[in-house]
Amino acid sequence: MPDLLLDVQGLETQFKTPEGVIYAVNGVSFGLKEGETLGVVGESGCGKSVSMLSVLRLIPSPPGKITAGKAYYRGQDLLQMSNEEIRHVRGAQIAMIFQDPMTSLNPVLTVEYQLTEPLLLHLGMNKEQARARAIELLEMVGIPNAKERLADYPHQFSGGMRQRVMIAMALACNPQILIADEPTTALDVTIQAQIIELVKRLRDELGMTIIWITHDLGIVAGLAQRVIVMYGGFIIEEAFVKELYANPKHPYTIGLLGSLPRIDEQERQRLFSIDGLPPVLYNKPTACPFSPRCKWAMDRCWKENPVLETVGPDHRVACWADVKTGRAR
Amino acid sequence: MTAYIIRRLLLLPILLFGVTAMIFGMLQFLSPVERSALYVRDIPKNENVVEGIIRRYGFDQPMYVQYWRWLVGFQVADDEFRPGILQGNFGWSRVGTQPVIDLIKVRFPATLELALWSVFPIIGIGLWLGVQAAVHHNGWFDQAARVFSIVGTSFPTFVFGLLVLMIFYANLQWFPPGRVSDWVNQEIFSGSFRQITSLITVDALLNGRFDIFVDAIKHLVLPILTLSYINWATFLRVTRSSMLETLRQEYVTTARAKGLRESDVVNKHARPNALIPITTLAGFQVVGLLGGVVITETVFTYPGIGSAAAAAASQLDVVTTLGFALFNGFVLILANLMVDVIYGFIDPRVRIS
Repeated sequence: MPDLLLDVQGLETQFKTPEGVIYAVNGVSFGLKEGETLGVVGESGCGKSVSMLSVLRLIPSPPGKITAGKAYYRGQDLLQMSNEEIRHVRGAQIAMIFQDPMTSLNPVLTVEYQLTEPLLLHLGMNKEQARARAIELLEMVGIPNAKERLADYPHQFSGGMRQRVMIAMALACNPQILIADEPTTALDVTIQAQIIELVKRLRDELGMTIIWITHDLGIVAGLAQRVIVMYGGFIIEEAFVKELYANPKHPYTIGLLGSLPRIDEQERQRLFSIDGLPPVLYNKPTACPFSPRCKWAMDRCWKENPVLETVGPDHRVACWADVKTGRAR
Repeated sequence: MTAYIIRRLLLLPILLFGVTAMIFGMLQFLSPVERSALYVRDIPKNENVVEGIIRRYGFDQPMYVQYWRWLVGFQVADDEFRPGILQGNFGWSRVGTQPVIDLIKVRFPATLELALWSVFPIIGIGLWLGVQAAVHHNGWFDQAARVFSIVGTSFPTFVFGLLVLMIFYANLQWFPPGRVSDWVNQEIFSGSFRQITSLITVDALLNGRFDIFVDAIKHLVLPILTLSYINWATFLRVTRSSMLETLRQEYVTTARAKGLRESDVVNKHARPNALIPITTLAGFQVVGLLGGVVITETVFTYPGIGSAAAAAASQLDVVTTLGFALFNGFVLILANLMVDVIYGFIDPRVRIS
């Protein structure tokens, strides 16, 4: 598909640990259109962060290793690039923000240093230009007294303000794609809302393409157009937001949606939870990784891992069962 | 930063009181005969003289009076003032047959010179080795550094010292022991060589005597090598683990995600953070070096403060030993102050709070 900005195919990432190989990502494929916001949802350890880090080759290696797959960005495979080439993509074309703003900014460098670094590096600005741009960026993300605060260190900012600084840093070079790795998880709820509003505003102003990794389906509903649900290192369902919420096909997605608290519910009930624990990925999965926790599991689910199949317009799911009838599809 | 340094400086009097009170307390365990070395040269011969000394120097006074007098000196008689610790009177060294402070003045520059020259290789090379070992985690460099460090930890100083002495002095005759050659000593005594800092290498350069500088360096090489090797082992391991810890931090991933060169990620983003715990260790090591390194000084017959203190202790000259201990305490306090200031420089969270 030529209109894809980012086209990831069959991505596999593994970690070699003393206890054995962890199969973290097992053949993930997805496309990203220019200007869209893609939500990536799943519980901790499902491989959502690792897949996105793998795309930029930011997996710590060793122990991590990308063992297969392609990731085309504007027709070039990021996974085949030289270290030098991918450096010019990171930050300049594809930028990332991380979960915990307390730890993702360097405590011993000033905000000015950290903000101007990508500008000096990728855009060839001189110190004064970079400084002016840094002030502009801080104002853009809503940090008061931007000029004075440049000389400050990260510990002088609150959590929400630090995440704003992170966003400013990521947007410094006007990247095409912003990968946001659970950027609101570590923040208070009110601050979360502010950060999401900020990202929405910046997306509309700058026309950015965003990959938003989260375990919070509520955030995805308000932000993304399309959603990927991951489980055990696989994509198990992919659809447009409205379709996914109205018509979830995978038992895991149904479980996730069912475990959300709802304001419109009349009776007070216990929240639904999915029984069992997420899979340990020490063995390469040969069966459906969700089968031990699935109430629709059939014989086939224990023997064969389902592949993503199109079940509706732009709706793909990896499941042998038809959850409506409870029988094989 | 200024406020931070002032806060640190305000702690100084308290620390100084602690050190002096402790040393003074230890002095109280001595008999008046031994303690008299604080004020008189000769060992009192009979009861009457001892009685006289006790009364004259107030060893029968209350403890706080004695402490104060010991600290700031006092008027023994109308025409006789006895200076205290703060005026530089550390007592009389009966073994060294000179005031303890003079012994320190002669011996400490030698120790200081050795320490200053050792600090650079220990910290410079140790830091580099540790950072490289962490960057090439589990690679061949890391493994080699591990062996190097284990050998360094398990090698007793005197064995390593004798070994290098055997190779480089006995066999190759490159680097002699001692502090300087005899001809340099003669020049120093003859007065043609001006002593400005008492550090021979520095004075040699100030006097424009390059030959003396080379001679002094030749004598320093083996002790520096020995001290470096033993300290590298610890330094390397601490640097390596601190650096490994830092490289796992999220801000390092952030730096990589910005598209920085790996060398900038390591040197500009990771290393300054890894330095924070290393500074403490470096401070301890420098203090250890300044306190005198008894074994190294003994093996290389280097006339430093460590061997002098050991000699005094082995001859039961307690006043001299405690004088050295007190001096060492002052050095430790100063070194700690410097470490704290360096902390402030490398960690903004300490500086701005």
